[in-house]
Amino acid sequence: MSRSFSTAVPDQLELPDAPAPGSHGPSGPPIGSKHPSTRRIWRRVWTTAVILLIIAVFLLPYEWMFISGLKTQAAIFDDIKPLSWKTFVPLETTFENVRELFMDRGVGRALLNSAFVAAFQVVCSLVLCTTAAYALTRIKFRGRGVIFAIILATFMLPAEALVVPLYQLISTMNLQDTLVSVGLPWIASAFGLFLLRQSFESVPVELDEAAKIDGAGHFRVFWSVILPVVRVDLITFILMIFLFSWNAFLWPLVVIQSQENTLVQVAVAQSVSPGALPNWGLTFAGASVATAPLIILFLFLQRLFLPGLARTGLK
Amino acid sequence: MTTMTSRGVSRGSRKRSRGDALAAAAFLAPFLILLVIFQFGPVAILIRDSFYSYSLANPDIAKFVGWGNFTRLFNDPIAMQSIGVTLLFAVGMVALVIPLAFLMAIYLNQNLPARGFLRTAVFLPVVTSSVVVATLWNFLLANQGLVNAIVQSLGFQPVSFLTDASTALPSIIIMSVWQQLGMATILYLGGLQSLPGDVMEASLLDGAGPVKRLLLVVVPLLSRTTVMVVVVTTVFALQSFTPAYVMTQGAPEGTTNLFVYQIYKSAFTLQQPGYASAMSIVLLLGAITVSLVQMRLLRTRWDY
Repeated sequence: MSRSFSTAVPDQLELPDAPAPGSHGPSGPPIGSKHPSTRRIWRRVWTTAVILLIIAVFLLPYEWMFISGLKTQAAIFDDIKPLSWKTFVPLETTFENVRELFMDRGVGRALLNSAFVAAFQVVCSLVLCTTAAYALTRIKFRGRGVIFAIILATFMLPAEALVVPLYQLISTMNLQDTLVSVGLPWIASAFGLFLLRQSFESVPVELDEAAKIDGAGHFRVFWSVILPVVRVDLITFILMIFLFSWNAFLWPLVVIQSQENTLVQVAVAQSVSPGALPNWGLTFAGASVATAPLIILFLFLQRLFLPGLARTGLK
Repeated sequence: MTTMTSRGVSRGSRKRSRGDALAAAAFLAPFLILLVIFQFGPVAILIRDSFYSYSLANPDIAKFVGWGNFTRLFNDPIAMQSIGVTLLFAVGMVALVIPLAFLMAIYLNQNLPARGFLRTAVFLPVVTSSVVVATLWNFLLANQGLVNAIVQSLGFQPVSFLTDASTALPSIIIMSVWQQLGMATILYLGGLQSLPGDVMEASLLDGAGPVKRLLLVVVPLLSRTTVMVVVVTTVFALQSFTPAYVMTQGAPEGTTNLFVYQIYKSAFTLQQPGYASAMSIVLLLGAITVSLVQMRLLRTRWDY
């Protein structure tokens, strides 16, 4: 019951490493082939090669980024040419880059700003989307379908196309260059509502009815019946909103001008693009710091991320 | 007696439905109000602004120009090149993501050692911000970067990936494929795991070899998933901004001047928000068209 996403959706996106039930991939050596042992060896070589290729393409760049953040500019260039194992190992580890980021470049402040915006966005959209999802799944009223269709229509609007008018709107509200203005336009999230509606619908109506017979009003049903049942999906929801908020770039770039309100993604981007010679070690360290919170969350809570991310595909 | 009861019931249910309507309004209002202000409001402003010429510094001095911004757009070689570049970017991404994600999903659907680990690796770029991805690749592809170090250790001349007009866009396409492959792979994995087992067994009994089975049975059965992957990838490409901002500033020769970057420059650097609004409308219509085509192709029930 608590994993209502997986009951709502047939595909098991969070398959464990154990053999997939009903996996249809080419499996096992063909029975009665002439040289089973040679075939098996080739198979193993091929599998290992592909695994190494995937690791090299997808993980090595991250490793290089994290490690190079712990090197001086000179060491990065010395170690990369000629290419050797040194490229990927910090022989003389220095935390000078990290120190400079936090002491001189205000990255600590930027991280706090990003965290504040993300928290604001998560809390507000949690309140707004859960209540709206309750109304759209649990209360029968005229025009429900129309309202849901109108909300879903906003799915089709790319945020990037609305940045110019949004900036003017925020300016007329006199909110430009505030942290609240970074999150405010996105807290009524159609995607979040879509995610929660699916999850709410998987809660059996009998539960509400039992509570209503006991005299519970809508708020009681919402608070003490529905929310506890869908709590795991709420974590997926929170992770999704956090991910979108933390990684957002164009809107924060546009709406924030002052240095003290800069978000971490904008700070990283601006340390790369302008200026003649970027400091590689410093930028790598900044990029590592900016991405570390999400990577850590993802590594530990992957199973809760995947159902949500798979649904961004439906957007 | 019967009439009494039925009247009593109907009055009760009317009372309840009025209570329900009030509760629904209370539960929905905050969401709807913000949605109207921050989604529909901007669309309305966008449409109005696209008919005016003004500056962000002084928005009160606006001149009505009718369709002027649009005719200007379709006669502006830079903007048209930007649209072309963005479409090329989208087509390139789709052409690479579909086969790669499909193969990756087939591969990860087997009983592999460390399958979960590999899936995590492929998925990591999806949860990494576009800024960090662009920053990382900026250094991977730089003249003294990691990729050129590999190229040189193999005995080739270094390549100016991001500053040569013939390699800049392909480089950004490859980076974006790297970034989005995990998403498409997860969609295909979901599709593969929902394939009906009996169809697969029947095709095995028919004696279809693995390649034939893949092409004639699996690919057609996954066409819904493929439509979804195409749409997700296209929408991602149409909205891409960060590579141009962080890595190339649209150079060399405008070959990486993605449309959203062009909108950003027009509005905030060149101070022509009216013109940028007209471009935004073109982007909006493009994205809506893609979504409508998807709904048509999938004959969507809203909840899949």
